[in-house]
Amino acid sequence: MHVLTVAQLLLNGVALGAAYALVALGFVLVLNATGAVNFAQGDLVMAGGMLAVALAPLVPAPGIALLPVVLVLMAALGLLVSVAAYLPLRGRPHVGVFISTIAVGIVLQNGATVLLGPEPRAAPPLLSGGTLRLGELVVAEQSLAIVAVAALLIGAQQWVFARTQLGRRLRATAQDPEMARACGVPVTAMILATFALGTAYAGAAGLLLANQFFVTPTAGSDLILKAYIAVTLGGWGSVPGAVAGALVIALFEVGVSAVLSYPVAMGALYVTLLVVLVARPQGLFGEVARRRA
Amino acid sequence: MKWRGAVRRASLVLGAVALLAYAVLYASPYGLRVLTVAGVYALATVGFQVVFGLGGALSLAQGTFFGVGAYVTGILGSQLGWAFPATFPLSLAVPVGLALLVGLPVLRLESHYFALATLGIAQVVLLLAVNTPDLTGGANGLAGVPGIVLFGWAVPRGLPLAGVVWACVALGAVAAAMLARGRWGRALTLVRDDPLAAATLGLDVGRLRLTAFALSALYGGAAGALSVHTQRVVSPEVLEFPVMVAILTMAVVGGRGRIAGAVLGAVLLVHLPEWFRGLERSYLIVYGLALLAAIVLAPHGITGLLDRLLPPRSRPLPEPAPLPDRASGGALRVEGLAKAFGGVRAVDGVSFTLEPRRVTGLIGPNGSGKTTLINLISGLERPDAGRVRLAGGDMSPRDLAGARPDRVARAGIARTFQAASLPDDATVLEAVAAARLERDPSVAQAEAHALAVLERLGVGGLAGRPCGGLPAALRRRVELARALARQPAVLLLDEPAAGLTDGEKADLARHLAAVAAEGVAVLVVEHDMGFLLPLAGRVVALDQGRVLADGLPGEVVRHPAVVAAYLGEGSP
Repeated sequence: MHVLTVAQLLLNGVALGAAYALVALGFVLVLNATGAVNFAQGDLVMAGGMLAVALAPLVPAPGIALLPVVLVLMAALGLLVSVAAYLPLRGRPHVGVFISTIAVGIVLQNGATVLLGPEPRAAPPLLSGGTLRLGELVVAEQSLAIVAVAALLIGAQQWVFARTQLGRRLRATAQDPEMARACGVPVTAMILATFALGTAYAGAAGLLLANQFFVTPTAGSDLILKAYIAVTLGGWGSVPGAVAGALVIALFEVGVSAVLSYPVAMGALYVTLLVVLVARPQGLFGEVARRRA
Repeated sequence: MKWRGAVRRASLVLGAVALLAYAVLYASPYGLRVLTVAGVYALATVGFQVVFGLGGALSLAQGTFFGVGAYVTGILGSQLGWAFPATFPLSLAVPVGLALLVGLPVLRLESHYFALATLGIAQVVLLLAVNTPDLTGGANGLAGVPGIVLFGWAVPRGLPLAGVVWACVALGAVAAAMLARGRWGRALTLVRDDPLAAATLGLDVGRLRLTAFALSALYGGAAGALSVHTQRVVSPEVLEFPVMVAILTMAVVGGRGRIAGAVLGAVLLVHLPEWFRGLERSYLIVYGLALLAAIVLAPHGITGLLDRLLPPRSRPLPEPAPLPDRASGGALRVEGLAKAFGGVRAVDGVSFTLEPRRVTGLIGPNGSGKTTLINLISGLERPDAGRVRLAGGDMSPRDLAGARPDRVARAGIARTFQAASLPDDATVLEAVAAARLERDPSVAQAEAHALAVLERLGVGGLAGRPCGGLPAALRRRVELARALARQPAVLLLDEPAAGLTDGEKADLARHLAAVAAEGVAVLVVEHDMGFLLPLAGRVVALDQGRVLADGLPGEVVRHPAVVAAYLGEGSP
């Protein structure tokens, strides 16, 4: 294979992986804060994409101008989801949240179908949608823009969590809610904020993906699977692991489907996942939980 | 409250009669078709309740077993022209075979990893179905699947087909309900609530989970086969995730772990979209909202709501039955046992002997390796080196080091945990009877024996209480009863007196002395010397994973090295 083709594929893979990383990041933040799986995460990505599609005619500017609007509106949606589907089920077995977020997903999916129809839609490109020449290499401007936006958002999350008072409180809530509450951290507010952040990032991923890959109301189920796999590969609960896992999945997807075909790539991904799980039952970086009997 | 039991039973019968009356008298052909689909899903959900509700494993492969059963019937029926009597058993056998094949590696995984692994299997099977068009018809699927033929009678659509499907549901539901109530179901519930405790009570956790997984596949395959006979076509839709979501939702809305809940959930959720059809395109939105409302308002499902309206009658206690005689065991000899976690040598070449008819005390500062030692002997941790030999009454000593916890338990070693581990929802009697499931032929007999043990420890009056609300002292007493119900040769107790009052401690000491007098070798880990020293015939002192002293209680506690280790005056 020509070296330029490989470079091209690599860029496509990293761009896809950057978008997946946003999805997985939102998923793992909520997971850490609540211990529960938010199964609507994929459908929230779809909702973000659809929101971008719906907003585009109203905003005569490139897609990047939509980003703040999508982030804010999706954060509000995240608050709504947590109030409706998480807070009432707090303190009960986690499988309850699994089901309630599935229900949220059903509402989002069919809401999108009713409002916008079942056919695939494309959001506007982030910038002009053209291509750039870097020497002999021709790259899609959109791919570079996706990587840049995702890197910016992930960097912002890392900065907030590492450097600010809010971030310390969010981390304390994720590590040990009981202890955080005892130390005066408003745990419920922190959980709501985590849902808002996770959903905003899902929405951003929707905006990023919905130009090259289109968006359909049923796109969510595929995305939640990938977020789930990314988080498992990276180690259940590990934030950098989730981002790394998302990149691995995307490179795998792009690489294998370029050489063979997309179904083979997907099949190989799931088989690899199974082998990883069987070889390391606690996940790649997970620790064995030991009971102090 | 006798009438409540009668009302509960009557409401079950009444529900069945109402369903039957609706089917025979009122249902349109379309209504019958919907009812048939509900029956198909009920069967799949009953199987799912076994693995998820009773076994606690969030399997996301139930939809796959459904789809595989559907494809087996579809391929054999439409491609090869095989008839129902041949295709149906194969549609059950192939999913069961798949479950056994993938279950062995996958069932070892922790909850979320297990869910994801089963989801991965589901995706692989779906990809295979879509991408092998020669066999499966690819994305279009296969048409022209023959209907059901029973003893030469081709079952027509409408009422007869609905009848056959619902007969299968009734058969499957009754069989599952009987299994759930019996020894196997009880054991599986304990595996769900506390797999570690289940293993230390002699239950083979891996085998129970695998059986439950295979059983769920059996029901899934049957449902899939019946669904194809109803639709007469099979397409990749049967393997897609929405089928799995529907089954999971039905199980939770009906009531997790409840067989009647599976049937109720399936009937309700299959009909729900029909009732909202009038809303035209937005009916699925309302369906999603209704589902959300159901899980928020009735987290224990419909059967949980019914239980609150008509609380189940508490069953009368059985007559206590004395435990059968058991040959008393021999001594337990621990030789050179060692275990390191990372660089820390938690247990470092420990040897001692537990003699029958004697209480041996195990003392040492926090972190000296006492609990790890008990975990190594009882099989919860694998030792890096050393032997654990248990002399039987008539057998030569066996080396139990590194054996699985259930094997260790069956060899006659019982233990308690530092934090008493009892399932919150079970009654005290059920919790103690769990210790007898591996040995007694029926639940009734296990409970009769359990009650005898509880009475012997003076807590027979607690039998009907749920474990969840018990104060710490009583929890410890119940856990002791559970360990004694094993009739162990060796009893390992991890801080049994922690948090007890002086009076409770004296009472416990009296019981432990009596247990030892019957020929049991008892090991007690304890910090309270006032409790331990009068009780113990011998004391072993540990520090940093090594034996500091081993001898008569009075000598050991005055041993300079032991005093130094406890008071932290540097090592000798």
